[in-house]
Amino acid sequence: MQTRGISKKNFDRLPEVLARAGRTVIAPVRNGEVVAFAAVGPDTAICLDEINTRLSLKEFFFPRTEPLLTFRRTENGIEMSDPAPTQGETIVIGARGCDAAALPALDALFNWDFRDEAYNRRRENTTVISIACNDCDACCFCTSVGGSPHNTAGSDIMLSETRDGGYLVEILTQKGEALADELADLLSEAPGEALPYAEVPVKFDAQKVRRALEENFDSPLWAELARTCLSCGCCTYVCPNCHCFDMQDEAGKSGGARIRMWDSCQFPLFTKHTSGHNPRPTQASRWRQRIQHKFNYYPQKFDCVSCVGCGRCIRLCPVGIDISEHLARIENEAPERPADHPNDNY
Amino acid sequence: MNAKNESGGNIYRPYMMRVVDIRDEAPGVRTLRLEFLDEAQAAAFRFEAGQFGLYSIFGEGECAFCIASPPTRRGYIECTFREAGRVTRALMRVEIGETIGFRGPYGNVFPVDEWRGRNLLFVAGGIALPPMRCVIWNCLDRREEFGDVTIVYGARTVDDLVYKHELKEWAERPDVNLITTVDPGGETPDWRGKVGFVPTVLDQAGVSPDNAVAVVCGPPIMIKFTIPVLEKAGFAPQNIYTTLENRMKCGLGKCGRCNVGAVYVCKEGPVFRLDELRALPDEY
Repeated sequence: MQTRGISKKNFDRLPEVLARAGRTVIAPVRNGEVVAFAAVGPDTAICLDEINTRLSLKEFFFPRTEPLLTFRRTENGIEMSDPAPTQGETIVIGARGCDAAALPALDALFNWDFRDEAYNRRRENTTVISIACNDCDACCFCTSVGGSPHNTAGSDIMLSETRDGGYLVEILTQKGEALADELADLLSEAPGEALPYAEVPVKFDAQKVRRALEENFDSPLWAELARTCLSCGCCTYVCPNCHCFDMQDEAGKSGGARIRMWDSCQFPLFTKHTSGHNPRPTQASRWRQRIQHKFNYYPQKFDCVSCVGCGRCIRLCPVGIDISEHLARIENEAPERPADHPNDNY
Repeated sequence: MNAKNESGGNIYRPYMMRVVDIRDEAPGVRTLRLEFLDEAQAAAFRFEAGQFGLYSIFGEGECAFCIASPPTRRGYIECTFREAGRVTRALMRVEIGETIGFRGPYGNVFPVDEWRGRNLLFVAGGIALPPMRCVIWNCLDRREEFGDVTIVYGARTVDDLVYKHELKEWAERPDVNLITTVDPGGETPDWRGKVGFVPTVLDQAGVSPDNAVAVVCGPPIMIKFTIPVLEKAGFAPQNIYTTLENRMKCGLGKCGRCNVGAVYVCKEGPVFRLDELRALPDEY
């Protein structure tokens, strides 16, 4: 890994220097109270002083809605086509380490056995320059899920703010190297000293939580934890790791598209069978699914938790549900496996 | 496209299939026989009993059903569905000669080769005979490889029994023991089969677990009451199979809908042995 430095002045020139036909530069931009990722140009102010963007980086790899195929009705029947790539070369500036760290976890899902072409194309076309955190809020819990304010997983380049107002530049991957070569004139060989990283308190032990989850599928805790949940699905939409989707056709007389869109395991219809039978008929069972999937099933299947501790689901939950608090309660309060555990019988 | 796409390509792109035959099975239940438009695709296509696919009407969407015809009948596949929603309503309107989409085959299979030399018991309820018809015909097409074949099938009413012509054929075969039943009140004056729920009728049939495997498919309530009957008869969990019908969208282990415990039913299923099923959370 190579390390360089970049001055604040040169950093501010990045959108201008990186601008090139066919390339999109994405960075956090303030719009009123909301800081969100948006395409930036030479005159856009990049906002790096927010704890995190309102929505995660996920949608630039796995869009909220996208056509999976398009079709036209012709005299000879249906003519199908693969949708043209909607996103060319992309450079993300200023993602938090947690958002970037969600990408390797999504890679596992979109590549096991069947490779999802559209997702992988966007991953290959995108270089992620993330920024380490010097500050956190009460909702951050990256350190409880194997991350840190300086988590380099999934990033191609990581920046850390230095005492002189510039940034330390850690070049982490080949894509990062290629970009650093392009920016060589802006980078210095002698980076300044990085400011101390944020101290994010550890709120639970993910290993212990996983064991507790394995033992407590039927715990009475679930009903209590989900009591105030509205089943609105907000947590899943703002989550950088949640990947569930629906597929629907949208068409007119001449043709249309088969599209996929984000969906949520928190919606009652998500699992409802045609017959009317619903394997998860209560909000307690759906909230349990979200937690079990992220902290028990996903680690079993893909060897990583499906959570990076970004805290968005906590910040934006309309009834103030704090998943980190729930996980701590599961770790500490979930009962030991009883002898006549229902799963022993069916 | 389809199967494993090591070489890349759009995994959501369906095959184009021509509807070559339509059969009405029961009120609101219909079978479509489909052939590949593309001969090369037809020649390369392989599947095994138990696998499913996503059938689509362009502009309406996709629906997951098991392939209802056996792999021993080459050149076509069949699906049987009940009209229930937007896609199945559109499938009901399809006419012979029209084309629909099909993605698949997906999921795991019944280990038919492992069953050689054993007695086979198939237990199905209502619209769950179609997912089992594939493996039944697969075994009947290789009849000499297996011992006794018993089929217990029930529906709410006589009218609701699907594949009536094939039930008649099975009833007439000396090498198949077919028991059909309808729920109390669902019988007609000329009904010659049993009257009673599937678990009760199965219990009364006195099936033997010796050297036997049982395949059970039906509504969750039927499965719930059928499993204890089989276990009481002496069937070990390792010899009881079922196929789960979880709601699915992608069929590719991505959309998350069919996730139960650490498995995606569309990938590690839909076929499960009872001992495998019991290792999962009770949530299907």
